[in-house]
Amino acid sequence: MSSSVNARAAIFDRIRAATSAVPAEIPTTHAGLPRNYRRNGQMSANARVALLIERLREYDAEVTECAPDEIVQAIARVIEASGRRVLVAPPGLPAGWLVPACNWKTDNHLTHDEIECAQGVVTGATCAIAESGTIVLHHTPAEGRRVLSLLPDWHLCVLRAAQVVESLPEYFDGCGTPPALVTFISGPSATADIEMTRIKGVHGPRFLSVLIVRDLGTTRPGAASGAKGAQ
Amino acid sequence: MNHPILDPRVAPPFPVAALPVLRNPQLRKNVAHATDVIQAKRARLVAEKTDWQALRDSGAAIRDHVLDNLAHYLEQFEERCTAAGGVVHWARDAAEARSIVLNILREEQASEVIKIKTMTSAEIQLNPFLVENGIAPHETDLAEIILQLGQDEPSHIVVPALHVNRSQVRDIFAKTMGLPDLSDDPQALTAAARTYLRKMFLTVPTAISGANFLIAETGSVVVIESEGNGRMCLTLPRTMITLAGIEKVLPRYQDLEVMLQVLARSATGERMNPYTSVWTGVTPGDGPQRFHVVLLDNGRSGILRSSRERQTLRCIRCAACMNACPVYRQTGGHAYGSVYPGPIGAILTPQLMELEYAQSLPYASSLCGACYEVCPVKINIPEILIDLRAAVTDREREEERRFFDPMYVGLRMANKIFASASRFRAAQRLARLALRPFTGKDGWIRSLPGYASRWTMSRDLRGVPRQTFREWWAERDGKAVR
Repeated sequence: MSSSVNARAAIFDRIRAATSAVPAEIPTTHAGLPRNYRRNGQMSANARVALLIERLREYDAEVTECAPDEIVQAIARVIEASGRRVLVAPPGLPAGWLVPACNWKTDNHLTHDEIECAQGVVTGATCAIAESGTIVLHHTPAEGRRVLSLLPDWHLCVLRAAQVVESLPEYFDGCGTPPALVTFISGPSATADIEMTRIKGVHGPRFLSVLIVRDLGTTRPGAASGAKGAQ
Repeated sequence: MNHPILDPRVAPPFPVAALPVLRNPQLRKNVAHATDVIQAKRARLVAEKTDWQALRDSGAAIRDHVLDNLAHYLEQFEERCTAAGGVVHWARDAAEARSIVLNILREEQASEVIKIKTMTSAEIQLNPFLVENGIAPHETDLAEIILQLGQDEPSHIVVPALHVNRSQVRDIFAKTMGLPDLSDDPQALTAAARTYLRKMFLTVPTAISGANFLIAETGSVVVIESEGNGRMCLTLPRTMITLAGIEKVLPRYQDLEVMLQVLARSATGERMNPYTSVWTGVTPGDGPQRFHVVLLDNGRSGILRSSRERQTLRCIRCAACMNACPVYRQTGGHAYGSVYPGPIGAILTPQLMELEYAQSLPYASSLCGACYEVCPVKINIPEILIDLRAAVTDREREEERRFFDPMYVGLRMANKIFASASRFRAAQRLARLALRPFTGKDGWIRSLPGYASRWTMSRDLRGVPRQTFREWWAERDGKAVR
């Protein structure tokens, strides 16, 4: 351990000898860095959702839409169409979403093997970014621990249209205190390691479905409101 | 083909190492295909980003700000990561980093470890060291599996096996996974890798990762990937060890809004890579409950000394520079004799080696500037290449064994000649006389003897004109040359 202490001191000595930082000025300098890139989108809420759907489909994700009062029926239809019956659910998923005719295992300390045996998982989300077709999970109780949306072969993510922002900076603006755990998901897992041929489905879920709840007109879009809404 | 050597201390100089590749049409075809595909996709996605140049400016400014204030941000990262349950270790060099990792693995009583692709681990040659010490490292990124099972080395920092084509992958997998009937369809090959790794993910309790970014504000680590092997390693094992260069810090979580917009577009030509994971120390009930970060210097702090060379450490490892480089596209990565090939490798490797090794790399460039143009954090690679060439020359000139090196003898002579007008005129006359027998009727020299033949081997040389400009001018004025 003492060698590590020496190493630390030696590294800091070398860094300090090579740089001339004034600690008191650092926050001001950081705040003044140029940021002339696009912050706020200009799209209408509908165009934003349409772009997200287009991007998700480009990634071979399956997208369905429904009205706010149809969520449960829509979830039932998507699950029915997927042909999957053994599903895991995060503990904070609304109870009504656990539609009948499925074998649900709610994650109260499920083992990895139990999650691995499931055919799919249903989660909420914190935010979605239209421009890059990205779903953001903060792993809230409605989104579940990280392993839950990883091991099952199919991930059904229920997203409210009001959670959709146009660009990445808008997500960060609405994010508030940085969360401890975040997963950005842009389509099902993929690789292009062999001759740059894109192959869908390596280790993460091979199939991603997104159910978009058309709740626009009721809530202002924003990342921070998202997590609460899904719970 | 010989096994590629990626240790700059023992690798042959670039021109020597490049030769076998230049004579291997299959390899050149594989490299050209892969780099063409990525470049085309990148160009399309960059073109649709109307604020691309503003993002590059911000990317460069954020990275510079970190490097200017590196001690502050590293201290902050260490404090916050520790508060979140992580253990931070410091390694001055590769040997120190290897032994820290080994000690942690021994404490864990690990006999094997799963790994997310990390160039830093390749830089410190961790895998062979672990094997020597009785621990089996298992790579989990598809390209890294191809290389590990095929006993090959990475030739690119984002797509490390881009020099291997599908039928070569098939042969490697068929042999090592015991699947004689495997087809060479990339889908089937990927499925084989999935099956091969699934059990490993669920059973091996210790994992090693690199880091794309460290967030000082939160003490978080960011890993950017495509396949989900990263997420597996980050969530299933009991213990996680992250190996990161000290330059990887970003001030705030929000700074990712720039990096995540430029990185995937530059690296793989995607708007966003499939998976980006952020985690902070240890989260009860979610993921590894023991977390170590090993922060590696290994020559980086030395690069901070000059503000121009400091740019090198802005690098976010997107590999756009190698895809764009006309030299890399011909030679592939192995010729660079380092895990960091291409233009960024040509400036990073010699500096990490403090110019003791890899002196040929600053010359492995035509200085065309394509690398600078595509760099998402605007590293002026050509400028640094020229600086490093000067530094290499300055060092070599002082070396006694180079005293009789024809290049330095020639340069010393040139120095003397150019210092005096009369010597210069004499030299002109001498050259005219000496070269006359080799000059053809059309005024061109096609072949020179001895050492000078190295020049005419690959290009013709204009013969010395019958008259110099001064002679012509003097004659025109009707005066004799003094």
